[in-house]
This record gives sequence, structure tokens and C-alpha cells, in this order.
Amino acid sequence: MTRQEIEREIKNIFQREFEIENPGMDDDLRETYEFDSIDAIELLLEIEKFLGSELSQEEKKQAMDIRTINQICDYIERIIQTRKVSVAK
Amino acid sequence: MERRVVITGSSAITPIGHGKDQIVESLLKGVSGIKPLREDALISRFIHSRVYGTVDYPINYEFKRQHRKTMGPVAYYACQVAKEVLEQTGLPEDFITSGKMGVAFGSIHGSPSVQRDIYRIFFEAKEKSAYQTIGAVDYLKSMVHTTAVNITKMFGITGRVISSGTACTTSSQSIGYGYEAVKYGLQEAMLCGGADEYDTITVAVFDNLLACSTAFNSEPHRTPRPFDKLRDGLVVGEGAGAVMLEEYEFAKKRGANILAEVIGFACNNNGGDLILPNLHGITETLKLGVENAKVNPQDVDLVSAHATATKMGDIIEAQAIGAVFGSHPYVVGLKSYIGHTMAACGAIETIMSLYMMQEGFIAPTINLEEIDERCAMIKHVQKVLQYPVETAAIQNFAFGGVNTILLIRKFS
Repeated sequence: MTRQEIEREIKNIFQREFEIENPGMDDDLRETYEFDSIDAIELLLEIEKFLGSELSQEEKKQAMDIRTINQICDYIERIIQTRKVSVAK
Repeated sequence: MERRVVITGSSAITPIGHGKDQIVESLLKGVSGIKPLREDALISRFIHSRVYGTVDYPINYEFKRQHRKTMGPVAYYACQVAKEVLEQTGLPEDFITSGKMGVAFGSIHGSPSVQRDIYRIFFEAKEKSAYQTIGAVDYLKSMVHTTAVNITKMFGITGRVISSGTACTTSSQSIGYGYEAVKYGLQEAMLCGGADEYDTITVAVFDNLLACSTAFNSEPHRTPRPFDKLRDGLVVGEGAGAVMLEEYEFAKKRGANILAEVIGFACNNNGGDLILPNLHGITETLKLGVENAKVNPQDVDLVSAHATATKMGDIIEAQAIGAVFGSHPYVVGLKSYIGHTMAACGAIETIMSLYMMQEGFIAPTINLEEIDERCAMIKHVQKVLQYPVETAAIQNFAFGGVNTILLIRKFS
């Protein structure tokens, strides 16, 4: 999955689930869009659906410091990479 | 220290209209808000009572996503009437968020439609992934204090939160405990009320107890029939009501439009059976209310009776009114228009009484065609009366043996 595909899907999720149209990639989601802890939990559920697999408690905790769309994309790339490595092992 | 408490705003969503103009017009015209029970694809087909006090008109909600995401239908009703009351009062934002104003608001069991969706997942889910469809916000939408805290969130209210959930006395307690919080100096203002959404489970509960009306299924507007010889039970309804209570000097100083004064409140329990009406218990409630308001029973000229139109409940209530107030005050059963709006009934009936006080009339108990002789010791209203109501008592009684009375007086 390319970075571009991840970005497109995340923007779709933001539009569909959070009514946030075209957020800036480095906008602070909390300050700019009042994105709060409840939204973060909902977002993790959407990411699980997108990846087609469950996130571990540890992986979810790692997401709690995320503030921007770019960081969300980094996070998803990291998860995908980790799973690839783990499959390769 | 006892301080005077005044009402400075009110709003209601009811089966006979939204806001003062529509509600007053319906009361004057004798409009019924009882409609056929809607199919719910779950239990409605098993229910014998086919009638419901229905809010069947669109409401133009303008809530932001940040607020909507934690709201079930019951919170929509609650936040809408709260918003309208706040707008009416003109209270400034810095006061609303100061901690000097609190919220007393409840519903009988949160949002049953959201709970129903959660239970559906529990019973139908075959795999773990299905459980994950229970959203992070589902509890916030369904919990018993969802109305109160969605109001605090939407308007940034930081004062006390009281969230009564005592069935049919939920919102009369909200107003009563809000009144006491202001009267005794704990808060300068309290936004008080109650709401309940369309819910067939509540109908099923009363239906199973043989307490629901079934004889007028083909003519919904002819039921409920408080105090009437042909009454055959209650009709469940939906809606919401809210009032703003403020300390009198504070309201006066800021030039608020004072609508009426709350002069008394009482609440007690029957101390026994959780369902059956109790003559001694509610007679005591009415006496305590009169005592608390420091008025003579003959000073009360309007009684808004709980009057659900059950066989025994109406007789017991009529006897209690007769024993405490005599045959002097006019007595009206406002559920004849809207059904039993559950957690909202105390607030809605207080607001309707307030409107009649403001407009100088008393609405009749509709469907009261032949007074049951066992309820005949009190003064019933069977046609619209032009009458300058000075003091009104609003009575509500709940499952669990909880009884309340609120007394309000025209402001002068």
C-alpha cells in the first residue's frame, strides 16, 4: 500500500466519520477541528477496518500522542511494516 | 438562608406542539397528541395498547458534530429545549460557564434506542469483530444521565449536576432539587427539566401490568381519559421540557424577564409497595408541599393532577386532592392531551401550567365526558375557562412510590 493510498483513505474517514473536509496534513487536529479522545478511539476502530486486522493494546497506546494526519499516516505505515517483518520471521 | 427563586425561561417539545404558541393553541382547541403506535420491528406487535403520545413533526436541530456524537434521541430533545431556554433568558456565556449555574435534568433510563442497538449486537454477534461495532460513544449516548451531561458539554456549564432517574417524577424532582439548590444558595441558577424519547419498551412494561389504554386503539384521540368513567389506562408519550430557575435578586438585577415564582416543593415516598397508588403517601406529599410553600390550601387555584387515567390512580389522587385542597381549586389532567411523557411529564406539565397562568386561562381535561363519581369530590374542568390563575400546584407520582409536588405563583 502506497503512502498516497493511505492518505486518501484517512481523508475519506475524516470526511465520512468526523465531517472534516480536506484537513491539512500538518494541522493540529485537536486545536483546529476539536478532535478529542472519543474521536481518537473511533479513528482506531476505522484504522482496524482499513487494515483488516485488529490493533493490539500496545499499538493503540502508541497512537495516543498523534496530533496530525501526517502522523496518522506514519503510524499506519509503521504498523504495516511491523506486520510484514513479523510475517517474514 | 432562604432565597426567592423565579422562572426566567421555559421551553417544551410535546405531542401537541413545540414552544409556547403551539402548545397554548392546542390547549385552547383541545387538540390531542395521541397517535397510533408505530411498528418497531421488535416488540410492538406483541403490545395490546396501540396508542402513543407522539412528537410527529420535524425539529430543526442545529448541533455541531462535536456535540451530536455523544447524543442519542433523548439528548437531542433535552439539548434542544435547553438551548431554547438559554436563548430566552439571555444569560451571558461567562455566567453560564462560571460554575454558578448547574443542571438538573434526567430521563427514565437514558436512550432506549441506543441500548436496543447495543443489545442487538450482544445477542446477534457471532465473532469478536462484531463486538467492536459497539462504539466508544454508545455508553455516553445511552447512560441514565446522558441528557444532563450532554447539556453541560454543549453549553460549557460547570456547576452542579443533578440527574434524577425516578421514572415519572424525574423532571419534577429536577425542578424541585434545582429550586432547593438556588433557594439555599448553592447555585445562582439551575437549568432544570427532563426528556424521554419514543420507546415501545416502556409501553410493554405498562401493557404487561394491564395499566395501558387498549379500548380506544382505533380512535387514539379519545384516550387517555383522566377521571372519566370510561378511562382504561395510561398512554405512554415522548417529549421534553426545560425551565431556568434563578435567584430572584440576581434575576431582578440583570433585568431578566421573570415568568413566575417557584414557591414550594415536596418529595416523599410511600414506604412500601413500589407500584400501587397510596392515598396516605400522596396526601402527605400535598400537605408537605403546601407547608413548604407557606400558603393555605385555599390559596391554590389550579391543580395539575398526575392523572394518568388508570382506574385506581385517579381515584386515589382525587381523594388526596379533596382531602388537602377541598373542592376549591380547578383540577386538570394535562396527560389527556399528550399522554404520559414519563421523565418529561413533570417539566412539561409545569410549563403548561405556567402558560395558562401567563395567558389567564385553564384548559379542560379532554376526554372527560362523564366524571367517575368516585373522582367527583374535586372541581374538574370540562371546557376552557378564562381565569386568572395565581397559584398552581403540579403533582407527579412515580413507580417506586416516589411522590412530588411543585407550587408556582404568578410573579408580581
